[in-house]
Amino acid sequence: MANAAAANLKEKIGAVFSFVIFLALWQVASMAVGSEALPSPADVVAKAQEMYTSQIGGKSMWMHIYYSLRRVVGAYLLAAVTGIPLGIAMGWNVKFRKIANPIFELLRPIPPIAWIPIAILWLGIGEGPKIFICYVGAFVIFVMNTYTGMRYTDHLLIDAARTFGATRRQQLFNVAIPASLPSIFAGVQNAMSMAWMCVLAAELVGAREGVGFIIIQGMDLNNSPMIIVGMITIGLIGLFLAVSLRYLEKLLCPWRRELQ
Amino acid sequence: MSTAHASALEAPATSRVKGYWKEYNSSVFSLLVFLLIWELVCRLGFISRFQLVPPSEVIVVMIEKFWTAPPDGATLFTHIAASMTLALVGFCAAVVVGVPLGLLMGWYKPVMVLVRPLFDAVRPIPPIAWIPLAILWLGIGIEAKAFIIWLAAFVPCVINSYIGIKLTNPVLIRVARIYGASNWETFIKIGVPSAVPMIFTGLKLSLNAAWTTLVAAELLAASEGLGYMIQMGRRLARPDIIIVGMLTIGFTGALMSYVLTKIESRIASSRRL
Repeated sequence: MANAAAANLKEKIGAVFSFVIFLALWQVASMAVGSEALPSPADVVAKAQEMYTSQIGGKSMWMHIYYSLRRVVGAYLLAAVTGIPLGIAMGWNVKFRKIANPIFELLRPIPPIAWIPIAILWLGIGEGPKIFICYVGAFVIFVMNTYTGMRYTDHLLIDAARTFGATRRQQLFNVAIPASLPSIFAGVQNAMSMAWMCVLAAELVGAREGVGFIIIQGMDLNNSPMIIVGMITIGLIGLFLAVSLRYLEKLLCPWRRELQ
Repeated sequence: MSTAHASALEAPATSRVKGYWKEYNSSVFSLLVFLLIWELVCRLGFISRFQLVPPSEVIVVMIEKFWTAPPDGATLFTHIAASMTLALVGFCAAVVVGVPLGLLMGWYKPVMVLVRPLFDAVRPIPPIAWIPLAILWLGIGIEAKAFIIWLAAFVPCVINSYIGIKLTNPVLIRVARIYGASNWETFIKIGVPSAVPMIFTGLKLSLNAAWTTLVAAELLAASEGLGYMIQMGRRLARPDIIIVGMLTIGFTGALMSYVLTKIESRIASSRRL
């Protein structure tokens, strides 16, 4: 116990140490190449203070964050509601699998980001294409993970249920779906990080609000502190989304903790 | 399904074809219906020519694109070559740096303690978010895109190598120690080989990330490449060009993963012998 605590302390000291070295290197590098190209850590902190208290493109920083989050969460929920049932249907029904799989396999290798141009042609430059891109990214992961979980369900379990006289319906809802839950939940996390990346890409290509707009605006204004503050914000929000999903998962499925 | 397959293997050629047909007829049918609906939606004028064109025209454009440059300034092969070169340069650079770093992180505690916090701090930022900064630093040439792709491919390389070597069976390590192997020898002869399967999983993820990020980078700043091609298709309101580009992106990406899987099985089988 004491040993573990000591190791933990050592790790924390190491972490602090590595960050100090990192910041020092950053400072030295910024002095070497000039703060125009690489702002010093202090410049970035000052810029962050300014950005969070003033407006960018007519909206406060918090509004930009709100816009991005709204797109991600909307598309994500839509993808979960449509993707998980489709994956279950593809995994459970052979006929349905044969019909849906070829189309799905044809579209799957196309990265969601490659949908951006056609999404803009179809849906204009408003909220539509951004939500669509996030939806495509998250949807594919939901379908794939659910489908894989269903296909790898232990046949013994289903045979056992059948021996005990379970109807087809009971086999699906009481055996196959619970058995594929771990795989589905792996998808829940991946789909979120994918959706977050996609909203960023969509906002980089064309938007007037959102965190992606912030960093592209920073590029257009040749303002590197602004880009760096934007990137840190993006990282923190991504982290926040991942942590809250993990928390939600623990809340919704307490049995998962016993499985791990 | 599986019984039909088994009997098809034993049967003579004609009924083998019949067996395959039975296996795949509904798939072929569903694809045909999909294409037919697409064709009809366009032909009957439900959707404007500037938003979607029928698949028959997409095929014609795709074939023409092999030797005609307009409207986006280069033939399909030029675009493919430009994109693949960039993706492979970034990917290889990421493998060369990322895999050894991951392995060292997994084996040597001080490297882990120093590098891990920084790595964890940078990881939540998607590589795409680096694009503006990279363009500001390196311009809109090949360097900025190679940097972004390198970054995207680097992360899975490091993580999987790290996990792979962490999962080395401790019994093997102890055996090596007992027979007097030095720490370095144990690392090279026991740790690294046992991490190979996990490294390959990481390489596949890396390649995927590299290809996706490449498209994003080319959408934003490029004068050739597949991402540039679909972006030009949008500017010119030419859905045929966009769809040809998307299909090519999907196909090329799938092809590269396939080649990597082949290399993996080659290495895995030679290791078993």
